[in-house]
Amino acid sequence: MILNIGRQLGSGGREIAQRVARNLNMKFLDKELILLAAKESGIATEMFERADECTQKTGGFWGFHLPWMSSLPCSEGLTNDTLFQIQSEVIKKEAELHDCIFVGRCADYILRERKDCLNVFVSAHEDDRIIRLQSALNIPEEEARQLIERTDKQRAAYYNFYTNKTWGEAASYDLCINSSVLGIENACHLIEKCIECLK
Amino acid sequence: MSKKLPLTLGTEPVKKLLRAYAMPSIIAMTASSLYNMVDSIFIGHGVGELALSGLAVTFPLMNLAAAFGSLVGVGASTLISVKLGQKDYKTAQQVLGNVFVLNLIIGVCFTTLSLAFLEPILRFFGASENTLPYAKDYMTIILLGNVITHIYLGLNAVLRSSGHPRLSMYATITTVLLNAILDPIFIFVFDWGIKGAAIATILAQIIALAWQCKLFANPNELLHFHKGIFRLKKRIVMDSFSIGMAPFLMNLASCFIVILINNGLGRYGGDLAIGAYGIVNRVVFLFIMVVMGLNQGMQPIAGYNYGAQQMQRVMEVLKVTILYATMVMTLGFVVGEFMPEWVARVFTSEKELIRLAADGMRVIMFVFPVIGFQMVVSNFFQSIGMARQSIFLSLTRQVLFLIPLLIILPRYWGMTGVWISMPISDFIASVVAAGMLLHKMKNNKLHQPTM
Repeated sequence: MILNIGRQLGSGGREIAQRVARNLNMKFLDKELILLAAKESGIATEMFERADECTQKTGGFWGFHLPWMSSLPCSEGLTNDTLFQIQSEVIKKEAELHDCIFVGRCADYILRERKDCLNVFVSAHEDDRIIRLQSALNIPEEEARQLIERTDKQRAAYYNFYTNKTWGEAASYDLCINSSVLGIENACHLIEKCIECLK
Repeated sequence: MSKKLPLTLGTEPVKKLLRAYAMPSIIAMTASSLYNMVDSIFIGHGVGELALSGLAVTFPLMNLAAAFGSLVGVGASTLISVKLGQKDYKTAQQVLGNVFVLNLIIGVCFTTLSLAFLEPILRFFGASENTLPYAKDYMTIILLGNVITHIYLGLNAVLRSSGHPRLSMYATITTVLLNAILDPIFIFVFDWGIKGAAIATILAQIIALAWQCKLFANPNELLHFHKGIFRLKKRIVMDSFSIGMAPFLMNLASCFIVILINNGLGRYGGDLAIGAYGIVNRVVFLFIMVVMGLNQGMQPIAGYNYGAQQMQRVMEVLKVTILYATMVMTLGFVVGEFMPEWVARVFTSEKELIRLAADGMRVIMFVFPVIGFQMVVSNFFQSIGMARQSIFLSLTRQVLFLIPLLIILPRYWGMTGVWISMPISDFIASVVAAGMLLHKMKNNKLHQPTM
């Protein structure tokens, strides 16, 4: 059984994922994926961290056409696309081996062929997200607000680019939860129930 | 097919890897530059020296067409290889269909607009009363076939990223050979003049395109044409455009530069000087393209090892690539400095044109030994994921320094001012590249204890 959780920053998605993982004895993978991908590929973790949930839409100048000539092959260096590819191999492999909970990283798309997936999106009211972020990172309100805005944008671009679905839109997921309405505890129960139904 | 970097990149000997990765792209690049050379050679000998100038006048328009081609092509092939890496054939097919339609639309628009204003455009690009008829004859046919060219190039890029790099290389080589066979037939046997060269170009592409279409029509292919993929999807179009924007702008810039060069040469040296640039340009590109092929080969090797923080190997591949590139460019230097007349004679038998072209080559190719270094370094930054630095370095050589020089120097030194702008810009750009590389090495422990 696989649970994929997409989340807004500060919505408590990560905490929900962790709790469900503990309750149902599943493997929790968030940033851990980066370590695994680095180990698998031999590429340093910093590289994955730099590219984590970001897109980089540059074909590069060397991919340019010259008159009457085939376009040159695009950059095959250390691009975010390459790192995404390595990471998705790792996600597939982990999903083969364990019951996993993946947080973000387009895991719902990467594992789209699997029938035993539940794809969840966790959102929350903006005020609650700011409060949660402030207490987690110890930052002033304004900074939290900006961070939220920036991260939402980045995650949406990343998700939309790789999956051709729309980040945060109900049709992209099986279940959408607002943690401000339900609370973390209830959200966990709800997800656990759903998983039970699917089993 | 997938974008996965094989682990051997971190272990095999660097030289061996570079040979394996660079060879195919060097072949493709050389083939492409030979294509242009062959056209010029037959036009020079079969039609005349003014026809060569007419041909050179069309270069900016070609650059412009290529700019629009890369706007779609580069983005689409990136998207396709990302989707194929995920085995997401459905989306990849949609990209394929969208590429086809986008190229069709852009090609038709481009042809209509440029045909409508062909004369003023060509005059703006440096055509005179004498060269305009040639430029017009040539460009009319090329523009009519522009849609075919766009689709052919677009599909070739897709072919490469869809796991058939070999087939896409064959398509390139086929068009080169066909062009080389058809050119003399049309020019010498049928006496079609410069039109013959254009018809040969387009005909070769039609044949290659027909073959590509047959390939993509096969339903057993991973990617193939079928109903429903041709409807434009907003997201695919936007993503392709945003990836293709940088190469598009770069091509636009080179279009602008050739306009400056042609106009400067035309004003101070006359039509023959433009023709001389036509010849020099072909020769210069032969060497530049080999280095570009080498760069393509370096990218995955430098990229992977930088990622794995194997700095010794990163430095090694950088050094070896610079060494090879410098060797290639030094060969160009020797040719350009010591036997330029001999090279120019390949293109024309007109004495004055030979003299002008030889002078141009001597000036432009004077700093060739350092250009290889510049090109490799700016590509190196791209391959280790520092796209911004790489873009900046490419701009320094081809835009930032060159444009002001091309505007200022000819005012004082006339034709020599135009020629000399290029090596000066190249040299400054190399110094900047060296500075940036040293800075990077200091800051990033690229440093080796032995160095």
